[in-house]
Amino acid sequence: MPAHPAPSGPGWANLGMDIVSVKRVRRLLDDYGEGFFERMLTPGEIADCRTSTGLDVLSLCGRIAAKEAAFKTLRVRDRFLPWLDIVVRRSDGGWPLVHLRGGARHMAAASGITEITVSISHDVDYAVAVAAPIITESKGETP
Amino acid sequence: MTDGLDQVKAWIVKRHPDRDDIAPDLDLIENRLIDSLSFVEFVFLLEQVSGRSIDMDTLEVDSIRTLEAIDRTFFKARVS
Repeated sequence: MPAHPAPSGPGWANLGMDIVSVKRVRRLLDDYGEGFFERMLTPGEIADCRTSTGLDVLSLCGRIAAKEAAFKTLRVRDRFLPWLDIVVRRSDGGWPLVHLRGGARHMAAASGITEITVSISHDVDYAVAVAAPIITESKGETP
Repeated sequence: MTDGLDQVKAWIVKRHPDRDDIAPDLDLIENRLIDSLSFVEFVFLLEQVSGRSIDMDTLEVDSIRTLEAIDRTFFKARVS
């Protein structure tokens, strides 16, 4: 087994993981309001995080952690996380589903990644997420 | 150093009390002074201080990698 596996290809799955502090996100919400998160979350994602009493900070943290974890599986350098192109929605069953679009979809395709699966967990002060890419045989991306 | 860059530097130092200064050529990303979460807030700050709208999708990493680069990209460029 090579010490430094190739970043993509059948047989390899580069995991991504992230942790987000509730304290940090709560400060952002307090300082800037809900509108700030429109730069990071789609309207659908924000709706998923909303409860009858407003935005649920733990849910926000979980979404943010999931996006970062998913981005880490792409193994790209010198690129910022394309926040709105990695969409994490709640499925009917309650588990998170990742949808790649725009720049994120192209970055994934370049590594042979067609989909990303993610799991989120949270407790009082932190949310964590782990992501794994689904890598398929390259068939050549259509432009 | 421009007033705008002073505000940017103060913003970073406030969030990293272990540092009392930031060298102009220090890599802010490699040294984790800006991460993915703070990046969004940082862009928000840059917009407010520079008075320019910033497209996060097209922003080059190297344009905010150091204080020198930030000064060159967002502040000095306005004078010319």
